[in-house]
Amino acid sequence: MSLTLCGRAFKEVAPRRYVATVEASELRRAIEAVVEEEAYISSISAIDMPKEGKIELNYVFWSVKHRAAIVVKVAVDRSDPVVPSISDIIPGAVKGEMEAHDLMGVVFEGNRSLRRGFLASEDVVVRGVYPLKKDSGV
Amino acid sequence: MALVEIPIGPQHPALHEPVMLKVRADGEDVIGVEVNTGYNHRGVEKLLEKNSWVRGMYIAGRVCGICNAVHTQTYVQGVENLMGVEPPPRANYIRTIVMELERIHSHMLISAVMAEVIGFTTLFMLIMRDREKAMYLKELVTGNRVHADIHVFGGVKRDLDEVRRSRVLDELRRVEERLKYYRRVFETDYTIVRRLSEVGRIKKSDALKLSVVGPTLRGSGVRSDVRFEDPYAAYPEIPFSVIYRDEGDSWARMMVRLDEALESVNMIRYALERLPQGPAVPKAIPRTARPGEVFSRVEAPRGELFYHIVSAGGTNPYRVKIRTPSFLNVLNTESTYLGHRLADVPVILASYDPCISCMERVLVVDERSGRRVYMSLKELAQVGFG
Repeated sequence: MSLTLCGRAFKEVAPRRYVATVEASELRRAIEAVVEEEAYISSISAIDMPKEGKIELNYVFWSVKHRAAIVVKVAVDRSDPVVPSISDIIPGAVKGEMEAHDLMGVVFEGNRSLRRGFLASEDVVVRGVYPLKKDSGV
Repeated sequence: MALVEIPIGPQHPALHEPVMLKVRADGEDVIGVEVNTGYNHRGVEKLLEKNSWVRGMYIAGRVCGICNAVHTQTYVQGVENLMGVEPPPRANYIRTIVMELERIHSHMLISAVMAEVIGFTTLFMLIMRDREKAMYLKELVTGNRVHADIHVFGGVKRDLDEVRRSRVLDELRRVEERLKYYRRVFETDYTIVRRLSEVGRIKKSDALKLSVVGPTLRGSGVRSDVRFEDPYAAYPEIPFSVIYRDEGDSWARMMVRLDEALESVNMIRYALERLPQGPAVPKAIPRTARPGEVFSRVEAPRGELFYHIVSAGGTNPYRVKIRTPSFLNVLNTESTYLGHRLADVPVILASYDPCISCMERVLVVDERSGRRVYMSLKELAQVGFG
């Protein structure tokens, strides 16, 4: 089973869980298509993958219309983790982006609220460490 | 009128979700609210990475004191998926009973806090007294009054015997009676209705954009409940109706909670009367999981609780991302305070059901004279009302 939104196929990986992987340049278009489906943003989870040299971002939505979780995955370069912000498309994403920035160092271009110390404690911020990175030493 | 900046919080570090609201007010009118966090980030996600799957069970339950069983459920059901184990039906029923008891006492707690915030101290005490009956039921089932710790991979830690089962059924009647009374109070009391109606309104179209969840979402007319849309544990077998209202204000959110608590009573009764026979406690606990990832969702008392669990195989998780309902409900609703009066701020905040009991002191700064006055949240709620 799969779900097609805006010409993109979302694969059903488990019951009521649809996942698609996109390029960073296509991210905003994919998110716009998902938001159209009566969806709220549930979470932005960043996963550090030092072996592959990337950070994987999972934008998890719940669609009230489809009664399914729709996940958009995007991989960013670990040494330069920059991705366009989606906070203007769905304002509920602002804090999720702030969290991923503070704990994993991802830069969401266009989100002006990004700052260190949003969640992380001051000693971690002063050392310039992103605590959820695998090699952070935390 | 002077412009004033009022920091509410940060609160007691021993309690979960410490948060600070920086309120800017022009006289009585709120013109800006900024939510500050990070006072006590405990690094639970990192802690989970560094510990085994089995230890994670206990860590997850300690994310939140009030809704600990739902945290354990979200973690355990996700890990069970990765481990390839399925809990027996009886265990699923017991888990569900504990989670619904938790919903009842959590909803009673916030009703009590709301009553206190608007100056009804006696009502606060009465609800807290009766909430203890629900806590007692939780203790009867799990052996613990607060931290249930009943989940284990592949079942529950403790079975429910006939004596305790009938005792819970018996005591449940009293809880129901009191809940009905409090629902009537919140529905009909002139002052409560006046203080909560039209305050902190979120329109249906905004609710999804702001990505609020749980009673806050359902209070804005969106019929979304994880138990119904994405059922887990024993919820597919237990009939219940999804409570939602169209008003979208603080009063609607409280009414959704009280109606839900009554619905929970019926669900617990149904589950206890039809408790399946068979084993509930597993003989051995699996310790390793397959590589893969799970998106685990549960309807906590405050809304959708989400865990993203990533496994690289072995005995430890690779990454666990936790998103609690209050993260969305409290942080994404800064705009809903605007245009209201100072006395409405505590009401709006309480209507999102944050952990507020610890936000005890408030500092009022008069920007012109530089005068500083310490006030409690309750005193603030009474300033200039009427």
